[in-house]
Order: sequence, then C-alpha cells, then structure tokens
Amino acid sequence: MQDKNNVQSLPVEISEQDVVAAMKLIPGYLDITPGDFKEVYQAAYSLAVKRLLTSLKAADLMTKQVQSLGREMDLVKAAALLAEKQISGAPVVDPNGRIVGVVSEKDFLKEMGFGATPSFMQIATHCLNNKACMIGNLRNKTVGGIMTEPPITGIPEMTIGEISALFAERKINRLPIVTADGRPVGIVTRTDLAHSYNMFREGLKS
Amino acid sequence: MSYLQKLKGSGQSPPKVSLSEVVWSWIGSFFGIAAVSLIHYKLLDQTGLMMILGSFGASAVLIYGAVRSPLAQPRNLLGGHILSAFIGVTAFHWLGSELWLAAAVAVSTSIAVMHLTRTLHPPGGATALIAVIGGKSVYALGYFYVVMPAALGACVMLIIALIINNIPKSRKYPEFWF
Repeated sequence: MQDKNNVQSLPVEISEQDVVAAMKLIPGYLDITPGDFKEVYQAAYSLAVKRLLTSLKAADLMTKQVQSLGREMDLVKAAALLAEKQISGAPVVDPNGRIVGVVSEKDFLKEMGFGATPSFMQIATHCLNNKACMIGNLRNKTVGGIMTEPPITGIPEMTIGEISALFAERKINRLPIVTADGRPVGIVTRTDLAHSYNMFREGLKS
Repeated sequence: MSYLQKLKGSGQSPPKVSLSEVVWSWIGSFFGIAAVSLIHYKLLDQTGLMMILGSFGASAVLIYGAVRSPLAQPRNLLGGHILSAFIGVTAFHWLGSELWLAAAVAVSTSIAVMHLTRTLHPPGGATALIAVIGGKSVYALGYFYVVMPAALGACVMLIIALIINNIPKSRKYPEFWF
C-alpha cells in the first residue's frame, strides 16, 4: 500500500551535494548554507505537494450527469442501461433518491459465478466450453440483490488527494459524490482522476 | 531581462523572524558588545591598546542576528577580520600618502581575498577601512592591529556567540567551523 498522505516523502530526495552543485551554477554569492537551503527546499516541496493534493475537489473532477439505478430494477434492464450509457457501474438509489449501494461490472461477474476480476478471455473460454453461458444466472434478479453495500461515497468538498487515497485503500474504481442527505450529485471514476493530471499539466504551462 | 526590468527587482523580501529570534539577537549582541567594550574601556583605557572596532557592530548583526548565515560562521568572522586587518594595515603602509587610494585598495582587496579564501564577512571591509582612516591611535598599533583589536576582539565576540546562540532550542551555532 502506498503511503499517500505522507507528503514529507519526496519522489526525488535532494542531497546537499545537489544543492552545492546547483549553487555553483548560479553566479554570485548566495547567503545560505547548503544544509539550510535543503531544509527550506524540503519544507517548500511539502507545501507544494499539499497544495497539489488539495487544489482539486470532487466537485471539479466529477462527472455531473450521474446515472443512478433503482434498487428494484431488473438486472437485465440495468445491464442494458449501463451498456447503452457506456458506463461500467452506477450508484443504486432507493425510491426517495438516496444512495443505498453501488453496482459495477464486478458485481455482475461475481453473480455470474466468476471471481471479481476475470479477464474477457476467461469468460469467453468458459462460455465457449459450456453451452449454457453463465449469463443466465442474472435473470430474475434485481440490482438491489447484487449491489455492493453500504456504498463508499464522497462529498463535493473532498480533495483529489483524499479521493485517490480512498481509491487505493478500498480498491474501488468509482466514487459516487453525494449531498449531505445522500443524493448522488456526481461520480468520480479512475478515468476522471487520470484526466485531472492533464489539468495539472495545463497549470504548469501558465 | 532588460536593464530596467532588473532595476525593478523580481524577488521578494524574506518573512519577518519570530519574536524569540528578535529577543535572542538582542541578548547576544548586548553581551557580545558589552564584553569587548568592557575590556576596551575598563582594562585598556590608558594603555593605548584597543579592543573595540566600529566593524564589530556589524559583526554583531551577523553572529547574533543572522546566526545561520554563512557570513556569520567562525571561519568567516575570524578569517574576515584578520585578513582584512592585515590588508588594511599594509595598504596604509604602502599607500598612506594617498589616503583615498589606500582606503579604496584596502576595502576592495579585502573583499577579493575574503572571496578567494571563503571567509567573506562584510564587517571585514570596515576593519580594513578603519586601518586606513582610523587616525593616530590606530596607526600607532602598526601590524599589532591585526592581533588586537581585530583577532582578539573577534574571538571574544565569537565566544559570546557560541555561549548565547546555543541556549534557545530554535538556534544552533555554528553551522560549520572551518
């Protein structure tokens, strides 16, 4: 498990030799010792990392048109809806619109009798060797029956650092963002996180 | 960067130090200057010898007020005063008939030598200058000016710095010796 919250650990540790070499590149007398400079650099670096990890919030990252599924929805219909929307998972809500779970491809696969993370080739091989494909297992079931609950959710104020830490710790791929009373207002996926690096890159150019 | 842009300055002033840093700077410099001036006024009064130099006021700013600065380290404090004192006296001996020239040569050569020996200490420039413009009492010392007040005075100030600057948790002195 990566230590996401420890901003003290630098990807590249700076040494006093680096500082001395860098000072030689700068013409003129610098009124600071290499040791002090290293200390200042490390403290400033930590602050920059902290700023990076708090600069983007869930509200900035999330996909706002969130497709929710009803708890009582038929699984086959749910699968068709996910396929149509080209998404691999969605929050599940009760009749009042409050989140009660999350359903994803993983839950479908589990229900079909595969492990949580089979490859397409495993599924294909299985279906080719057995006349009756396990997809039949999904008939006459509801979303509420296979969803993961309780749902892991976030709030719009959550920072990108907190979100990526949660993704890693809980091994999840999507995080529904909900209001205080549990209504989904958006969803942050791993894809959204990946796109956020582009925002950082654009920030560097300015 | 254009000449005018350079003149505008593109950096910013470092942040203000904490109140405890201000207090310890005051305490250190009070005792440092008290030590050399007590010796000067109470012990050496009628002897024609000196223990205090105007440049020690400037050294006090560094060794009690900016203790982490490379300029404030023992190597710089001692090396800067001793080398500059020697250069100042020499400049006066060789060029004393043209005091303006002796003064300029003393200070500029001191800076160059301090750079070359990694002993840059700004008050050293003043120590070199005083050797030229200090008047009869300074001229009478000849090269003894290098030993006293320059070297011994700087040593006394250094001892006080070593004692006082290591009392507070937030300070340590020196960063390096040589």
